[in-house]
Amino acid sequence: MKKIEAIVQPSRLDSVKDALVEIGISGMTISEVRGHGRQKGHTEVYRGNEYTVDLLPKIKFEIVLPDAQVNAAIDAILKSAKTGKIGDGKIFVSNVEEAIRIRNLDRGEKAI
Amino acid sequence: MTQTDILSSLSSTYSDEFQRIRRQFEESRDSGPVLRERSYLVDRVVGALYEHLISAEPGGPAGLCLIAVGGYGRRELHPYSDIDLAFVCANAGAESVHRDATAAVLRSVWDLGLRSSGGLRTLSECRTVLGNNPEFAIALLDARYLGGDPELFTALHDRTLPEVIARERHTLVANIEELTGQRHKKHGDTIFHLEPNIKDAPGGLRDYHVARWLTEIAALDERGGWAVPEDLWPQAFSSGARAAFDFLTASRCFIHYRRERDDNHLTYGLQDQAAQERIGISAADELSPAEWMRGYFRHARLVDALARRLLDETTRSRRSLMTVYEDWRSRLSNTDFSVIGGRIFLRQPEAAAQDAGLTLRLFEMVARHGLRLSSEAERAVTEAVPRLEPNLRELAEVGLSLQEILLMPHGAQSLRVMHQVGLLGAIIPEFKGIDALVTRDSYHRYTVDEHTFVAIQTLHDLEAAKRRPAGSEAPEQGLSPAESRFAALLGEIERPEMVLLALLLHDLGKGSNAGDHVQAGLKIAEGVLARLGTSPEEDRSILFLIAHHLDMSSTLLRRDILDPATIREFGRKVGSVERLKMLTLLTFADVKSVNPEALTPWKADALWQLYVSTANDLARSLDDERLTAADDAALDIGGELPAKQSFGPPSDLHGFLAGFPQRYLAVHAPGEIIEHLDMAKSLDVAGVVVRTERQPSYWALTVITRDRPLLFATITGVLASWGMNIVKAEAFSNAQSIVLDTFAFHDLHRTLDLNASEVIRLEQSLTDALAGKASLAAIREEVASRSASLRPPRNPVPAQVRFDDTSSAHSSLLELVTADRPGLLFDVSYTLGELGCSIDVALIDTEGQRAIDVFYLTSGGAKLSPEREAQIRTALLQLLSEPRPNPVSAVPVTAPRAMADEGREA
Repeated sequence: MKKIEAIVQPSRLDSVKDALVEIGISGMTISEVRGHGRQKGHTEVYRGNEYTVDLLPKIKFEIVLPDAQVNAAIDAILKSAKTGKIGDGKIFVSNVEEAIRIRNLDRGEKAI
Repeated sequence: MTQTDILSSLSSTYSDEFQRIRRQFEESRDSGPVLRERSYLVDRVVGALYEHLISAEPGGPAGLCLIAVGGYGRRELHPYSDIDLAFVCANAGAESVHRDATAAVLRSVWDLGLRSSGGLRTLSECRTVLGNNPEFAIALLDARYLGGDPELFTALHDRTLPEVIARERHTLVANIEELTGQRHKKHGDTIFHLEPNIKDAPGGLRDYHVARWLTEIAALDERGGWAVPEDLWPQAFSSGARAAFDFLTASRCFIHYRRERDDNHLTYGLQDQAAQERIGISAADELSPAEWMRGYFRHARLVDALARRLLDETTRSRRSLMTVYEDWRSRLSNTDFSVIGGRIFLRQPEAAAQDAGLTLRLFEMVARHGLRLSSEAERAVTEAVPRLEPNLRELAEVGLSLQEILLMPHGAQSLRVMHQVGLLGAIIPEFKGIDALVTRDSYHRYTVDEHTFVAIQTLHDLEAAKRRPAGSEAPEQGLSPAESRFAALLGEIERPEMVLLALLLHDLGKGSNAGDHVQAGLKIAEGVLARLGTSPEEDRSILFLIAHHLDMSSTLLRRDILDPATIREFGRKVGSVERLKMLTLLTFADVKSVNPEALTPWKADALWQLYVSTANDLARSLDDERLTAADDAALDIGGELPAKQSFGPPSDLHGFLAGFPQRYLAVHAPGEIIEHLDMAKSLDVAGVVVRTERQPSYWALTVITRDRPLLFATITGVLASWGMNIVKAEAFSNAQSIVLDTFAFHDLHRTLDLNASEVIRLEQSLTDALAGKASLAAIREEVASRSASLRPPRNPVPAQVRFDDTSSAHSSLLELVTADRPGLLFDVSYTLGELGCSIDVALIDTEGQRAIDVFYLTSGGAKLSPEREAQIRTALLQLLSEPRPNPVSAVPVTAPRAMADEGREA
């Protein structure tokens, strides 16, 4: 089992979600997050006040899935999240040791 | 038979009968038999246990009886609701004799799988129970004889209880009030939950019982005997309450059978099934779940109103005359209304039906002071509404009154009550379309009507939070840093009532079955506004806000708001900063009132980001966004004219508009544009056309002339030399080099207000100066001598000068932030003129004491050189660092100084 964390542009939320559902992934956790990578934000001067937007709004997808589905999921995210501009985001993949469904104590891939 | 045999035989009887009752419900959908028959069934079971474990002798033993209390006492047992029992014994002696046997009965009821509660009490304990166990005391109101000593029961039911209740009724009512208050608070004090608890939520079954108890207590007090509460309820409620009870109990039975436990949550899934199976309704046609829920809300509203009204009446009767007189709110009383205990009474309730104005004033008072309607006033208005309805739709003051109510601090609450009594629906019949309308997704917390009131409340909360001094607020009332920016924005808009009216109307489209609620809503709003008597210009603002109320949310969720193209496109759609501010606030309130968590800090930040970027872009893009003669936008003007007044051949209009920035169309109504055209036509004869007009909060000046050097400095100089403080201005020039300037200014010394002839003299001196008859040097001296007599500002704002050479294709942008003072604009524009700059465009705004100005500058028709910019920076910083005066008695600037000036100078 792997966990995919994908940080994407807010404007790509719907298309990434649709792309994942299309390849048969229905379970996901989506959060509104703020942060920055190399795209350091920018400064906007409004009425003499400087607003430094150093943490940019992004959307984070978290998905845990069987190893066999990982590559398909990554492809789907890459295709649907890409605008080609700075700030398109990143995908992180990590190992998951265990998954447990609270309701019936299913474990492992059965639980995801 | 052994104990075990008896239990197993009772158990099978119970479960057979339970299934029979259930089958009967599944066929008939009628809750009446379920409630009754389950209580008879339990009577049988409990009776058999009593016979076996305590006494087989009828009426025995002496000195002990078993009673049913609470819902079981009323014979209202829902399929899985608890069984409340109580043993009462005559004295402490009987108590010790029967303790074990009674405990065995209660245990056996449990063993049969019936959830029950109960205990053993002496008659004298029942006398003192009121103080220490309010819940049991309330349960006793529904006491019913099950077995044992009938004389003991009679003593309890016919003597002890009436006596004790009459004596302790204040405590009892206070207990009911407190428990009800706590329960309502737990459920957010609103009936409008999308997945309500039909027992405990406001307007649920528990409130129906509260109404019963209060009536029972009052009857015992007044008549000394028991009564059927429903018979004593006001006419207006009795039949509706019966229907509500049937609906709620049918729904509760349905939920119990589906969930197979005492669960009272009407979830979405259950709503779907209930609608499909037509629970609680007799309609032959199938209802959608949303329509079925609408029925629920109507019943809940009636129950809620009934319970509140009875609580209101009993609470009031408890108040002594002293506290009434001491109440500070009674000082609010006037010839129409008296105010007692925070509740407002009509002095002549019967007058309400004749006098629509009186009814509207009543709600203005509610909105101003946050009062509640007394039940008499509520009844009088409810009964008056049908008779007032025809008048209300024609009355000119209705629209103004509605705006007043919207603007007042408790406007949302007042509107909510107006909605409840049917008055809002009488004024705006289209509001009935969203009455209790459910938006069925888990994101929406409220029904559409309630969402509207919460949104209006949200803006008032911003306003109230802004007024509290920093640091003084309780944490839960405090605004997040993100929210306080929106609060500041609210202070900057000129007509908050436009945003509030737009909020009131923004979701009316959801009441029609048309697919797109925005388009449908626009059509409805047009009709409503035509009746409310708003001006065409106000209508334009409100309709704009309604038409675009989803645009900011969708832009920030679906578009890249860091992309300049997104911002430019959005800015073009909005047109002006004032509109952008209003739309931002509307979006803030709309999103925040979907549910309490809907406006996450993430979203609030993104909304602010979109606002700032668009505001900046609107200020920086005027130069590149100009009308052409062939522009379609220009063609619409004629069609939009209110009286279809003639404006000559269309080519005249097109020629006049060509070259003006797009903003010109956004900030001027068609009627004004035609007036400007007329003025421009007389330019060939007059050379300069000047017009001054008194507006409610400022003076307005319109100047049309041919372009010439230092035009802007000359006009601002003349105004400053007269001691006028410019608060707002726009100046546009077209392709024919006709300059149109409109100024709004404050007359600090009331020169014009007090001397009508001075208005003509001011116009003359402007005409003279623009015709070159007065020298700029003389004007400058005049301004300087006026300024010298003024005190320096208390909070100097450090001057900031910034250049931007990238935003405009043709000009350099100068952004200036400094302390505001009369004569500032003249000093700055004069300095710029002396340094060889032409002002192409200027956008000037004020925030309190800060002036925030943007100038589009060119020199010799091109952008400024870096050397020139350095020179200007030095000159301006020096000018602005000189100790300069501030107005001695500045008129409080209520309207922000949103000024746009543009003069294309040769």
